[in-house]
Amino acid sequence: MRVNYERCGYCGACVGVCKDMALELIENRIVIYEERCRRCKGCIIVCPLKALEE
Amino acid sequence: MRRVLKDEYDVLVVGAGPGGSMASYYASKHGAKTLLVEKSQEIGEPVRCAEAVPKLEEFHITPSEEFVRSYIKGGYLIAPNGKKIVVRGGKTEGYVVERKIFDKYLAIRSASLGTKIAVKSRVVDLYPCEDGFKVKVVHLGEEYTVKTKIVIAADGVESSVGEMAGLKCKKNPMEVCSCAEYEMTGVKLLDKHMMEFYFGDLSPKGYAWIFPKGDTANVGLGVIDRGKKAIEYLNEFLEHPILEGRLKDATPVEFKCGGVPVGGPIERTVDDNIMVVGDAAGQVSPLTGGGIYLAMSCGSIAGEVAAKAVKRGDYSMETLMEYERRWRERFYNTLITELKYKRILQRLGERELNIIAEVMEDNLEEIDVKEILFKVIKRAPSLLKYFKDVVA
Ligand SMILES: Cc1cc2nc3c(=O)[nH]c(=O)nc-3n(C[C@H](O)[C@H](O)[C@H](O)COP(=O)(O)OP(=O)(O)OC[C@H]3O[C@@H](n4cnc5c(N)ncnc54)[C@H](O)[C@@H]3O)c2cc1C
Ligand code: SF4
Ligand code: SF4
Repeated sequence: MRVNYERCGYCGACVGVCKDMALELIENRIVIYEERCRRCKGCIIVCPLKALEE
Repeated sequence: MRRVLKDEYDVLVVGAGPGGSMASYYASKHGAKTLLVEKSQEIGEPVRCAEAVPKLEEFHITPSEEFVRSYIKGGYLIAPNGKKIVVRGGKTEGYVVERKIFDKYLAIRSASLGTKIAVKSRVVDLYPCEDGFKVKVVHLGEEYTVKTKIVIAADGVESSVGEMAGLKCKKNPMEVCSCAEYEMTGVKLLDKHMMEFYFGDLSPKGYAWIFPKGDTANVGLGVIDRGKKAIEYLNEFLEHPILEGRLKDATPVEFKCGGVPVGGPIERTVDDNIMVVGDAAGQVSPLTGGGIYLAMSCGSIAGEVAAKAVKRGDYSMETLMEYERRWRERFYNTLITELKYKRILQRLGERELNIIAEVMEDNLEEIDVKEILFKVIKRAPSLLKYFKDVVA
């Protein structure tokens, strides 16, 4: 999973659906813990800005 | 600040949104030593909201000029064919507030009763210790371990803190409304005291809104869609013919986005030494996506129950269950009914929505769903298949 920081609105919607706790919002920066991600794409669905890509 | 993070507490509340500030207010009010931890450097920022709140009297909060931007008397429900239904009075009355100021106001109100607040302080983990939790907090790159008897997780849509403690708080992606919004000035409103709601293909499985906000208006929408993004729908909405050019001269002063959990409450909001409130607990109206009022109400209950538990010296799940019982008693049935209605609404196409709008009175005091459905089915019996769960 990759974040396009130019697009991200740091809203945390993606964090709220990541059951594997692979995402964290640190102030205005989304951090991805790749080793926890199981590529379910839930975060991509809820992102309002298309800021997440595989 | 560093001193605040080196102390021990009875109650540690995570998140200074409406839920957390109300919870900490009542915890402090009833004598618990309380810390409110907010990861942003500014409480109320960034805003992820259309900022409509119902009347605040039940919380003994005076609607002050400080944060109220518009007084709301009701709303227009606008069908895909443009037919407008006016709903006025009762539950539709309220305010559009400046959340940045409102959230800060609620935090200050809590602090005035003794709540300590740590800002730019992020909860990153927690683990149980003999009679409570040790909570790991990162502030300016340094890690602190704060001991507390009770944690109240009011961390909003992110819902991570309850999850860290083993409660299932994360939401299903198809039950989260994905939202984008411009706050604009120069909007030609239908009425400066009325909210506008638009339904149909312009915002699938959700709706678009224009809410008056003083000199500006919040223009946004929420969708559930695997393909197209909220921002794309929003950009189309700004030029949509249904608005008859009312945004032609409008220009944005702020952009906001976010996710609203509209799938109903989580299974369990309580465990030993912890309670979950607000968005994190799914305490959001599935129909409107409104969560401020519920976060404030449920937060108030959680704060009270926490302080009571501290007095008794018992922070077990059994004691804290009073919170779950009380919030369920007040809101559970409504939330589940709304969830049912929402699921029906989400299946309706524009044709069906237009038929419903046609049979509805133009002016309503309250929305009596059963009566409306009765008329709809009389007019178009083929729609019965959508409604059989609720009319039976
Ligand atoms: C676009 C949009 C429009 C909306 N419009 C409306 C509306 O008009 N009316 C309405 O009633 N509701 C609306 N809502 C919903 C409403 O915003 C929420 O329901 C409400 O804010 C929930 O309050 P809360 O206290 O649970 O969480 P929040 O207000 O989200 O507060 C949570 C706080 O916790 C902090 N936090 C999170 N994790 C941590 C951590 N690990 N450590 C420390 N702090 C943390 C966050 O920074 C945040 O400040 C809207 C939502 C969106 C996205
Ligand atoms: S793909 Fe799934 S597991 Fe990976 S970050 Fe997104 S929501 Fe989390
Ligand atoms: S949902 Fe999208 S815009 Fe929001 S924080 Fe995640 S990546 Fe950024």
